[in-house]
Parts: sequence; C-alpha cells; structure tokens
Amino acid sequence: MTNKQRAPWVVRSTTAAVGLLAGTLVLAGCGAGGREDGGDEPAEAGSTVGVTDDSIKVGAHYPLTGVAAPGYSEIPTGAQAYFDYVNANGGVYGRQIDYLVRDDAYDPSQTTSVTDELVLQEEIFAMLGGLGTPTHRAVVDTLNEEEVPDLFVSSGSLQWGDDPEAKPWTFGWQPDYEIEGKVIGQYISENLPDAKVGLFLQDDDFGADGEKGVRQYLDSQIVSVQKYTSGNTDVGPQVAALQADGADLVIAFDTPAYTALTQLVSLSLGYSPQWFYSNVGSDPTLVGGLLSNFSEGAVEGSSSSLDGVLTTEYIPGVDAPDDPWVQLWQKVWDENGSDGDLTNYRIYGMSQAYTFVQALFAAGEDLTREGLRDAVEEQGGDFAGPNLAPYRFSADSHMGIAGMRVVQLSGGKGEAQTDILVTDIGDAEITTDDSGQADDAPPESGIPE
Amino acid sequence: MQQLVNTALGGITLGMVFAAFALALVMIWRSTRIVNFAQAAMAMVTTMLALSLIERGWSYWAAFLAALATGFVLGAVIERTLVRRVEGGPELNAVILTLGLFIVLTAGAEIVFGSDYRSFPVPFSLSGTEIGGTTYALTGFDIFTVVAVLVTMGLLLALFQFTDIGLRMRAAAHQQEVARLLGVKVGRMLTLGWALAAVVGSLSGLLIGGGSLVHPHYMESVVVFGFVAAVLGGLDSPAGAVVGGLLLGVTLSFVSGYVGSGLVALAALVVLVVVLMVRPGGLFSATTARRV
Repeated sequence: MTNKQRAPWVVRSTTAAVGLLAGTLVLAGCGAGGREDGGDEPAEAGSTVGVTDDSIKVGAHYPLTGVAAPGYSEIPTGAQAYFDYVNANGGVYGRQIDYLVRDDAYDPSQTTSVTDELVLQEEIFAMLGGLGTPTHRAVVDTLNEEEVPDLFVSSGSLQWGDDPEAKPWTFGWQPDYEIEGKVIGQYISENLPDAKVGLFLQDDDFGADGEKGVRQYLDSQIVSVQKYTSGNTDVGPQVAALQADGADLVIAFDTPAYTALTQLVSLSLGYSPQWFYSNVGSDPTLVGGLLSNFSEGAVEGSSSSLDGVLTTEYIPGVDAPDDPWVQLWQKVWDENGSDGDLTNYRIYGMSQAYTFVQALFAAGEDLTREGLRDAVEEQGGDFAGPNLAPYRFSADSHMGIAGMRVVQLSGGKGEAQTDILVTDIGDAEITTDDSGQADDAPPESGIPE
Repeated sequence: MQQLVNTALGGITLGMVFAAFALALVMIWRSTRIVNFAQAAMAMVTTMLALSLIERGWSYWAAFLAALATGFVLGAVIERTLVRRVEGGPELNAVILTLGLFIVLTAGAEIVFGSDYRSFPVPFSLSGTEIGGTTYALTGFDIFTVVAVLVTMGLLLALFQFTDIGLRMRAAAHQQEVARLLGVKVGRMLTLGWALAAVVGSLSGLLIGGGSLVHPHYMESVVVFGFVAAVLGGLDSPAGAVVGGLLLGVTLSFVSGYVGSGLVALAALVVLVVVLMVRPGGLFSATTARRV
C-alpha cells in the first residue's frame, strides 16, 4: 500500500527508512515516480491501488433490486457490455477493466456497506457511476477521505461538482437538474409565454434543484407548485391541486413510475395539460410500456402514449438508430450484451463507460488515482463523445455535460425543438452550443484514443 | 370546489383500499388472535400471479377468481405447515414468524416475477365520471372497489354473527380448550380462518393493484396504513375496519392535497394516537370486558 501520510509514523526509527521517505517525497514533488511492480513500497507519485500491469479494478453501486431497479438496473449491463468490448480489443494500455457492480437497492445504508466492501476489501481503483442522490451522498465523503476517484456519479444533483475543493475526487456526468430547469424555463418563457405553469416535483434535491433553475426564467408564470414524496404512489391530491390552480402546462421533475402515475390520474380527473417531463422521468419505452397495457384503449398503445409530451435530451438514444453513436452501441450490445434489447438506460451506461475509458487513456500509461483526476480536470472539457454538449470539467468545476436540447415526443421519438443549449449553474447565460460537440462521430474502432 | 370533491373522492377510494387490507387483518385476528404481518406479501403474491395469468391471455375475471382461490390455498398451507407450530406459544413467536414470511415471500416474488414495475389492466374505464361538463375522479374501477369492499364486509359480518361456522371459529380463537371440549374441531377452524383471511387479503391486493402499477413491493406503501385502519376500528370489527379505513383515507387525502405530501405518514400517526387516547380499544371495540 502506498500512503504518504502514514509513512512518517511507520519509518521514523531507521535512517535507511528516512532515506526512503525522503526519496518518496522528492519523487512525489516532481511527479516523476515510475510505477513499481509488486507495489508494497511507497516509492511512486500517486496511488496505484486497484491497478496491476494487466488489470484495473473499478467499482459501482446500483439498485439491482427494489423499487428503483426498473430501468436503472440496466445501466450497469450497458457499461459491462462496453467494458467487455474494450477488453476484447486489447483493454486500456494492455490492462483489462474489471468492473464490480454491487446492489444497494437504493438504500443509503446499503450503499455505505457495499462501498466499504468495494473500497476496503476489493480495493478498487475508482468508483464509476454510483447511482442516486440520497444513496451516493451517503458515501461521497468516505470516497473523498480515502482519495478514491469517484467519477461520473449517476445523478444530476449539483453537489457532485459545484465545490471541487470540498470534494476533489468526485465528478458529475449528466447535466445537473438546475441547468435542465433553466433550459426548460427559458424555452417556455420564449415559446409559451401565456402558459399557466404548474410544477410537479419530487420532494428532495431533484425537485428543488429543478425548481431553482425553472424559476430563473418563469417565476411570474408559475401558478402552482405540488410536491410528491417518493414511495407514496397516491398522487391524486397533487394532480387535483394542479388542475384546481388552473395550470395548463405542467413541468414535472419526477421518475418514470410517477410519470405513468400522473398520466393515469390525469385521465381519471379529465385533466389534460401540456406535460413537460424532465429527462429522468420521460423514457418513452419504459413509461409507454407501463401505460400500454391499460384497458379498452383508454390509454393508447406502447410508446406513442406520451405523444406530444416535451422533454430534454443530452445523449442520443434508441429513438435515433441512424446516429453513429447509437450504431456503435448497437454493435457493442449485439457482440457483448446480455439478454434483452438495447435501451436508453443501457446507452447511458455505455456512454458513461466510454467517457471513463477516455479518461483512463488521457491519464496515460502510468496510471495513478491522482493522474486520473488531473486528466479529467485538464482534458475533460475537450473529450469528444456521445454527449451532445461538452463537459464542464476543469480545476474549478466538476460539473458534467453543459447542456441539452428540448424535444417533443412523437411515436416514441424525440423531435428537436431547439438547438443544443449550454449554460452553467447560477445566473450563467444560456447560449447555443457552437463547439460542434453534437456532430462528433465515434472513432472507427469504437474506442476513444 | 372540484378539487374538494376530487380530493374527497380520492380519499374514499384510498380509504376503501385500506379497509380491504384491514378486513383481512381483522379476519385473521378474529379467527386466530394473531396479527399477520405477512398479509401484504401474501396478497402481493396472488396479485402478481393474477397479472401473469392475464398476460398469458386469461380474462380478468378468470384471473381474479384464480387469485382468490390461490389465496385460499396459500393461507391454509401457511397455517398448517408454519403457523401451527407457533400457535399457543408466546405471541411474539407468531409475530416474528409472519415478519419472516413477509421477507421470504417478497424475495421469492422478486425471483419469480422480477422486480420491474408492471401495469395491471382492469376491464373498467380508467376515465373519471363526467357530470354536467365537469369530470370527477371516480372511475369505474373505483366504484367496483367500493362495492367489493362493502360486500366483503357484509359477508364477514354475516359469517361471524349469523352462521354456525362463524361461531365455532370465534370459539376456537378465544377458548381453544373449551371449544375443543364442546366438539369444535379447533385445528380445522384455525386453518379455515387463515384461508378466508388470505382470500380477503388477495381481494385487497387485486383492488389496490388494479388500474395501477404493481411490483413485488407495491403493497408496502399500503401496509402501514392498513394496519392503522385496522387498529382504529378495533381489530375485531369488520365494520370498524371499513370506517377506520375511510377515516384514514379521507384524512390523508386532504393532508396530501392541502397541506403537503411529506406530512402524510405523520398525519396517520396523529390520527392513530388521538383515536387510541380517546378510545384505547379502537373505535368499534366491544371486547374490553373480555380482556383477562
């Protein structure tokens, strides 16, 4: 184990060891330490825990069982398929990626125990894509104290990236809910200035961050704010209140099951506003599948049941089979995937895994935890990838993708309503992205260089 | 006005759902003096089974009856093979056993049926009722729910009050020794009690899941409120269970719609504490004199 902090205590007594310590410090100071095989001696520039000559151990926590499992449990299957693809094509600098997924059932206390297991027993090199705001919040401090790179958290909460000094090892990935709220707010204030807007929010950071963004542009148009508690499936009272307050456009920061529930309840209330679901809650395949079974044509079939709904998009999904990225994901899934079809959740996992492999290549052949973190900070802003807008990664910000576009669903496909709009948290302006990020195509090999 | 009516209607339907669940608890309490914590999981299993049958092309009503029949068998089998071993022992043993069953059944259902959300179609319209140009939140399925719960309540009342077998079941539950001396086949009565309770439980599962989304955990959001409803009613009274369910459903619906959904669980607790302070045995208790 290499642990510079502990070294003075251990070796103070012998001169030889003091010499070794001095050497370590000098090497660390120059950043010139080479990797040493067998790795018991603290003689290199950074931590190589979880890295050997031919493997890199990566951990993740996802809800594989329980109420949050539908949809989300598919994300790691996508990531696994992409890592298999990379491994089959030679790995990263000859190292195979060993991807360990643990089930936390979306329960923060379980997230803590599986993360301890991954960090202390499995000795992972990095955590990748741990899912959920309440769940990941329970382990983010531990990961930072243990100095484990905590890349690309699967949640749009601001806290992963807005304060890199407090959490130097944690990085976001998807656009945060505040900028999503801003983009939605601006779109409505410009295109639907007469709409009476209702907000349907999950009663936690997810809803609060979204509302903060929306209010920057729409404050005076909002006529009703209703919050639901995740776990209570009776949303009738909230939707009835939105209806009573006269909202004719409802912005929902909710999860897919609640999207389906709001649609069912609206039907029984005879309430038909324009719905605008956040990206998280709008997966047309999942929600449409849920709604399709209901009786006697009361809800129309399959993915078209969300026709006319507005939402946002930040990576290409299964509705765009001609997109070169989706073609790559399809190929990867066909070659390496497990059972089932390619879904947007699997694409999410693959896109994240792609960015991770990109970061590993950027960190160079002598892989260390510090090197990986620095590579994302220094080069992450220029990573080409499936993301439609660039990442915001720098030494000052660990926020992920900078923007998205507004789309309207029709027959399960998203039709673009805007260009790619980019912005940042706070009062940063919303601008059209001119980086050409959305036009990136994957490299021939399907592996970032 | 429309919101008031809709919130009240929503509360009534919700209350009936709690009542259905509470009825099953009352049933088992009356016939075996055990509080069955596994009730929710048993109802979930039969409902998931019904959904699987519907997905294979069965009609709703055939699957509905199949679920009730499976509930009957499941209840009887669980009583004969598991609960029988702890009956007559310390009460805590039975409680722990049913809690364990709850976990085993839920985990088993996840393995067999998967943990995905699935929609449970019903042969009723899911649109509200339109009166004078205004749509009220009362769907065909809601009406069916209300009717089914009231009928079940009536049948249970009749069973316990007016039939010989109901009398024998109560006797077996209260005074096993005496009942046995008088020729009541106590073991058979206990099995029957569990079987019938599981039928009522299955009905509640079908009513709660119908026209909405089900997964192996879908009963868990109802289970606590169902218990509160049963305790409100006094655990011993079918009518009490229905009144308790309605009281709770309407209260929670108004709290959720007019105060905030975050306070729903707290409101249920407040209702429970207030009712138990005023009437410690529950609203419809008549059993305090019998307590030994």
